[in-house]
Amino acid sequence: MSRLSRSRILTVVAVMLAAWALSAVAALSIGSVSISPATSVQLLASSVAGQPWQDTPAGAILFSVRLPRVLLASLVGAALALAGAVFQSLLRNPLADPYVLGVSSGASMGTILWILCTASAAGQAAGSLVLYARPAAAFAGAAATVAAVYVISGGTDPSGESSQRLLLAGIVMASLLSSINVFLLTGANQADLRGIFYWLIGDLSRPADASIYAVAVMVLAAGILLYMLSNSLNLISSGEEDALTLGVEVPKVKLRAYVLASLVTGAVVSISGPIAYVGLICPHLVRMALGSDNRLLFPAAFLFGAVFTLLADTVARTAVSPAELPVGVITALCGAPLFIYLLRRKGGCW
Amino acid sequence: MTSGPSETALEARHLYFSYRRPVVIDFSLGLSRDEVVGIIGPNGCGKTTVLRLLDGILTPQSGEVLLAGSRPLLQLTRKEIAQRMALVPQNGAVLGYQTVFQFVLQGRSPHLSLMGFESAADEEIAREALELTRLGPYAGERVSQISGGEKQRLRLARALAQRPEILLLDEFTANLDVNFQVELMRLVVRITRERHLATLVVSHEINMLAAFCDRMVLMADGAIRSAGAPSDVITGESLRDLFGIDFTIRFDITTGPEVLPVIKGAQNHGLDSSTRRRSSPFGPVGPPMESAASPAVPQREGPPVRTGVFPPGGVG
Repeated sequence: MSRLSRSRILTVVAVMLAAWALSAVAALSIGSVSISPATSVQLLASSVAGQPWQDTPAGAILFSVRLPRVLLASLVGAALALAGAVFQSLLRNPLADPYVLGVSSGASMGTILWILCTASAAGQAAGSLVLYARPAAAFAGAAATVAAVYVISGGTDPSGESSQRLLLAGIVMASLLSSINVFLLTGANQADLRGIFYWLIGDLSRPADASIYAVAVMVLAAGILLYMLSNSLNLISSGEEDALTLGVEVPKVKLRAYVLASLVTGAVVSISGPIAYVGLICPHLVRMALGSDNRLLFPAAFLFGAVFTLLADTVARTAVSPAELPVGVITALCGAPLFIYLLRRKGGCW
Repeated sequence: MTSGPSETALEARHLYFSYRRPVVIDFSLGLSRDEVVGIIGPNGCGKTTVLRLLDGILTPQSGEVLLAGSRPLLQLTRKEIAQRMALVPQNGAVLGYQTVFQFVLQGRSPHLSLMGFESAADEEIAREALELTRLGPYAGERVSQISGGEKQRLRLARALAQRPEILLLDEFTANLDVNFQVELMRLVVRITRERHLATLVVSHEINMLAAFCDRMVLMADGAIRSAGAPSDVITGESLRDLFGIDFTIRFDITTGPEVLPVIKGAQNHGLDSSTRRRSSPFGPVGPPMESAASPAVPQREGPPVRTGVFPPGGVG
């Protein structure tokens, strides 16, 4: 394998960005109203040049319906794949991802509680006042879960066992919280229930509000901070004692990576719901293709997660048109067989 | 590396560490450049804890560790420590997905900047460490595919790639055949002299340490029982004190003291004294070890027993 260098990473990032741009144009063009890729690109170009688009029906569909959805799917997929890559490296376990560790369920619980509170008239008034309350509630749920899992597993003693305990504690919390979520939903009225049900499988069809900007900023900032930890996490995945002797402040790095990855997960789960398998499959596929150095894996998984989720969402909204499937159904349909293949493959990356 | 040969590279002062019960009690030791010091003692006597305290992985509850005789370890970051000191832990992980070269290249990470990458110079250092440990031909192989002895050399190679001033080795010849043990110890002595390192080796192999170390420290129950040149500290009494059984000590003017445990009740199993020698839990010592060790010794710098390099004040 050639040496890891800045130029190699930039090449991979450029190729991934090109793949994302192609997928985005495809996603913009496909739908109940077909817009040719050429028209999509033309409309985008003229919009960048400052020309108004409101006049054409194609422009209206493109800019008010499809483009926000494309950007949302990309953001959510990128964040979940990055969080998965971080958790797998941190816990030295290929099964780790935000979903398995209970972080997604915690974020779901925060969001459900928020939805139930705002269902009342008084809550609705309060809810519209506080724009970022929904992602904040999700993050609070994710953070509380992380803290609980951390305490249950006994924190960070630098022996290898703590990672296994962390994973087990996460699995226990995930199943517990899923039960609580179902219990909470019995209190929801019928109108809310369908939306929440879709959202629990992972759904991108809910129109995004302004909180998306806060989420985007959070994801990008956390992504940069996580990238700065990437080489330390390389060494931690070789063993925590080894990492200590090679100069890594292991407890500090673990805590930071854990909090940042949970933050990212909580933020996107508040919008999309817990989409399964993105955090599990995307890092594995990238690792198979590019090796397991986190300095390359993190940016590549981030972009690949965007492409994967974008394509999955495009299938989800067009496969049974005019109805829509939750995107989580598609990611699970692709992800589960792929995961079984990875499990059975000999001589894997882990 | 302009330091003189007797410069103190690392100094432990009255270390005390307790983990439910006291593990290390009043441990003081000075480690100089160009010397190899060995620690022996029974299981659970605190040897590994001492190494972890010296490397700063554990913090002593009292006492302090000073780098280069003056800088307290507590004031340094892990990265700064790793630039100067390499520890090869007893049960470190060697994960399967890396190549031998990638594994050794990890040794350069304490010298990288926050977002940095290994340069061609770093790769050169890693390659040199591979050559020193005779792992060059395996550079492209996955670490899961090499043998146990090669894995031990690999861990030493990564520590050398750190370009440390101080090398701490914890049971790193464990589970190896005697010829590999001799080869590795010889390599450690050679590198210590060439690079002016201060090297501390923890091992159960009394004879191996006695043959290769400049000084030995005997530990029991978390405290130092005796310390000094192997010929001075390896005595029947000192070993009985440590392990609670009798030993036969044979002193050879060229190879230093050789130790043989007296296994009581061996006659009851129909063993004569010559078979008993070979079935010793300390491996084939005496004549078999000599034949494995002596012919291929190209450069043993100076006589093996150095009674004169015991720096005053080194052991408190």
